[in-house]
Amino acid sequence: MRQYLNQIKAIVLKDLVTELKTKELFSSMFIFALLVIVIFIFSVDLSIVKANEVGPGILWVAFLFAGTMGLNRSFMLEKENGCLEGLILTPADRTAIYFGKLISNLIFLLVMELFILPLFMIFFNIDLISFLGPLLVVIFMGTLGFCAIGTLLSSLSSNLKTREIMLPILLYPLIVPVVIAVVRMTGQILGGESLGSMMNWVGLTLAFDIIFIGVSILTIDHILEE
Amino acid sequence: MTNTVDSPVTAESAIEVQNIHKSFGVLQALRGISFSLHAGDFLTIFGPNGAGKTTLIKILAGLTRATGGTAKVAGFDVGNGDAGLRQKIGVIAHATCLYADLSALENLVFYANMYGLDAPEERAALAIKEVGLEGRMHDRIGTFSRGMQQRISIARAVIHDPSILFLDEPFTGLDPHGSKVLKEYLHSLHTKKRTLIMTTHDLSCGLEMGDKVAVQVKGRFALFENSDNLDVPEFEELYFATINNGN
Repeated sequence: MRQYLNQIKAIVLKDLVTELKTKELFSSMFIFALLVIVIFIFSVDLSIVKANEVGPGILWVAFLFAGTMGLNRSFMLEKENGCLEGLILTPADRTAIYFGKLISNLIFLLVMELFILPLFMIFFNIDLISFLGPLLVVIFMGTLGFCAIGTLLSSLSSNLKTREIMLPILLYPLIVPVVIAVVRMTGQILGGESLGSMMNWVGLTLAFDIIFIGVSILTIDHILEE
Repeated sequence: MTNTVDSPVTAESAIEVQNIHKSFGVLQALRGISFSLHAGDFLTIFGPNGAGKTTLIKILAGLTRATGGTAKVAGFDVGNGDAGLRQKIGVIAHATCLYADLSALENLVFYANMYGLDAPEERAALAIKEVGLEGRMHDRIGTFSRGMQQRISIARAVIHDPSILFLDEPFTGLDPHGSKVLKEYLHSLHTKKRTLIMTTHDLSCGLEMGDKVAVQVKGRFALFENSDNLDVPEFEELYFATINNGN
């Protein structure tokens, strides 16, 4: 078990060190998410619609589109110079490779989201500070589900020529239940409701998080095989 | 279909391959290869491009599944994906399997951790020293020449001291110094009774290094011989005759 955890840690550290050196992933995801929010700001008349009604959808569209870019890049890094082959040749369990990539993807997305939140607050003139605790819980649950299935599908699509197109085509239909739940929860939180009053959505999101991770554990062996 | 030339398969073999087939759709890459190697044997496989040498190496390393036949490496069935098999083997392929944005040391520490080795930093530094690049261990792999990357790739492949090593055209891109370092290193592994399978197009080098030679043509072994019976001119003649007959 200790070796299993060490292998996961090694993959996460490797990805973090690479990102600290290149800053490719964070900068591209952050700029993309920022652009999405800026475009929506100009296309939505906030004097007609309430910011806390349209804001959650825009926020999650920015997170998910930018996150898809990150997921695509994540396994591309492993394909360069045949690194994925080198990784598969080690005695590491395939699920350790999956969890290592999942955790590093989760960290990158959460950091990007933390940088986007204050800008979202300024652009939409919404006070997020009062709802920060439950909002962060919802963002974590949604991002976990997105990364859980996204990591699996990016490992699958990394072998395809049309990988940039295939990942969103495979990912978005599967992630719909989680997206609906987190957008609803974000809207309700911004409307002043407590997390306790939306346990059905919390349960749905957590259930999909668990299902996505479970499916990934069961299938990653076959997906990583050439 | 079976291969043209078989070597005897025995119980105590380090590598046992029996009637291995591999198809990619309608293309038959391997058409019934059988051979066995004892611990400490060094087999060099020659053959024209497209003969299926890389496919054979990939199957033996557990990177791809055979369509038919069986292969045992270090006692493990290669189709089962045993972690124990991966602990026993090292693979040097066309691709270096190195992260371009990490330094040589960071790359090897990463692989040492993935192999579960004790003192990964020390093991990584030692492996880099053995391939003669200790002066560049903190430099990014992306700044290395192809030959230097290949040397670090060799260090990566042997960092866990595997008993069986697969080398797929390992001399590609190496300068004379790099080739010399690799030859000496492979020779030292051979004297330590490691089992090696190498594919190469360099007839004299491959013949000099291997104690067994095979010529693979169109997915079959058309020749399997002990190399001590052959000198370079004789082997060159035999090689081209085999290729022509195979085609």
